[in-house]
Amino acid sequence: MDDIELAVVGAGPAGIEAATAAALAGVNVALIDSSPKPGGQFFHQMPDPFECDDDSPHHAKGRQLLQRLESTGVHLLRDTLAWGIFEGPKPGTWCLTLHGPDVPPRLNVRAVILATGAFDRSIPFPGWDLPGVMTAGAAQRMIKNQRMLPGKRAILTGTGPLQLSAAAHLVDAGVEVVAVCESAPELLRRGIPHLLALLGQWERMREGLSYLRTLAGAGVPYRLGWAVTSARGGDRVSEATMAKLDRSGRPIRKSEIAEAVDTIVVGYGLTPSTELCRLLECELEFNRPRGGFVPRRNERLETPVPGIYAVGDGAGVGGAVMAMIEGRIAGQSAAVQLGRIPERVAVEGISREQAALRREQRFSRMLGDLFSPPAGLYALATPDTVICRCEQVTLAQIREAISYGAQSVSDVKNLVRTGMGNCQGRTCGSIVAHMLAMETGRTMEDVMYFNVRPPVHPLPLGVIEEYNEAAGASDQGRAMP
Amino acid sequence: MRLSKVSSLLPPYRRGKRIEVTIDGKKADAYEGELVSTVLLAEGVSIFARKHATGRPSGVYCGMGVCYECLVTIHGVSNIRACQTFVADQMVINTAGQAGR
Repeated sequence: MDDIELAVVGAGPAGIEAATAAALAGVNVALIDSSPKPGGQFFHQMPDPFECDDDSPHHAKGRQLLQRLESTGVHLLRDTLAWGIFEGPKPGTWCLTLHGPDVPPRLNVRAVILATGAFDRSIPFPGWDLPGVMTAGAAQRMIKNQRMLPGKRAILTGTGPLQLSAAAHLVDAGVEVVAVCESAPELLRRGIPHLLALLGQWERMREGLSYLRTLAGAGVPYRLGWAVTSARGGDRVSEATMAKLDRSGRPIRKSEIAEAVDTIVVGYGLTPSTELCRLLECELEFNRPRGGFVPRRNERLETPVPGIYAVGDGAGVGGAVMAMIEGRIAGQSAAVQLGRIPERVAVEGISREQAALRREQRFSRMLGDLFSPPAGLYALATPDTVICRCEQVTLAQIREAISYGAQSVSDVKNLVRTGMGNCQGRTCGSIVAHMLAMETGRTMEDVMYFNVRPPVHPLPLGVIEEYNEAAGASDQGRAMP
Repeated sequence: MRLSKVSSLLPPYRRGKRIEVTIDGKKADAYEGELVSTVLLAEGVSIFARKHATGRPSGVYCGMGVCYECLVTIHGVSNIRACQTFVADQMVINTAGQAGR
């Protein structure tokens, strides 16, 4: 492991392609992934004890990528969490701190490609923290990878293709779905300016249409411009209210309909996982269609921090195809930077990928434009709605922080502890930012995002101890700052 | 609830070996490859944890290890994410919802 030059963090579509491209160019690569199996959420595989003969093109594509990855000799570190990133012992090197079976506590490398992916975003409504309310990703994984039903009678609320896919899978699995609320209004008219982006995207259009057919076949209404506005229940959700939204995304109260359900599936798109970027104090910019704050990058997908690349949904949500292209660009660019291939050899391949990337960007812009949740949805929460689930901070407490003069999400965190619990602000970070911006009339760039400190996931204290012992025992390490 | 009908979107499959776990003192069947989170839901457990500050219940939310809402106790070790942990034979799982069951 001493001669690893490049670390790729995250073995989803972007990370697999980045590691493969760099390794094919002769770079010694470690690919770090927190799951037992590579593939990320997109190529998520069923657990080994399950037997499944999957002959779908999607599965075949995933298998092909993984076989190619294996053949390149990339060091795959499974079940391994990259919990921190620091300046390395030598100038121009980086040190990743790891926690996993049979991995060194520290990995010093000359370049890092962050391919950390994204996670589901919710927008809070009264009752959203009741058991039985879950994200679209959670419901989808439960059915696809575990073949378990999340409940008997469900309603969906959210926006975009992921929630449509979750809805179709719920219906197909036998869950009674009372409605799919899509917050975006009038898709067809608003889609006209984007018609060009659909060229060459028939495969995805077909997939979307087949999901709509599944819903129609089961008589499930797909309500455009609607959302679930509140939930009630004791130990578990038992009733949901949905309403039509006005142009700003606020509910029209007289349109409200209550339904008895045991499950509410929420999917307002994805939030990029930027924790490691933020640890490096890499500059982020707010990009609503790409899911929130994302790292700035040049055309080689390198961030302003030299030697640190960011690709895939973790650098701005754009889907798996785009993630794979970005991975290949960064993998080859890192190989150039590390002196494994000359610039003149790499440039042709990279510019071909960049052209493909522009095509994908058109499609992703269309999805971003059509399916960004309207700002008015952030007004659904009432004063006693819990916003930070870990620390149980309510909207009323956040308003109190604002009344004390909080101007940024960090101010709110300092005053009322939002984002200081186990999830480290992943769930509430963008929600607090939107609410603060809305209540104070400031922009997202004004209110910013939570600072991050290592470890980026909770760890047993013993792990930090091991890390410091390892650092003390070696002359090239540093104790954790 | 385990999916029993033939799906038109998903390929046919077979679960792993049948095993036995203990949930809040009660024996339950499970299958290798299943997650603690889905086994609990299949057994009708919706409350996995309660918040220290308010006592409010929590359960499966993100299902991918991000939110830490599904923390349970396994073999006496607390704060284990149910959605990131596979069941094993004779696993002893305790939730905070015991009183409600």
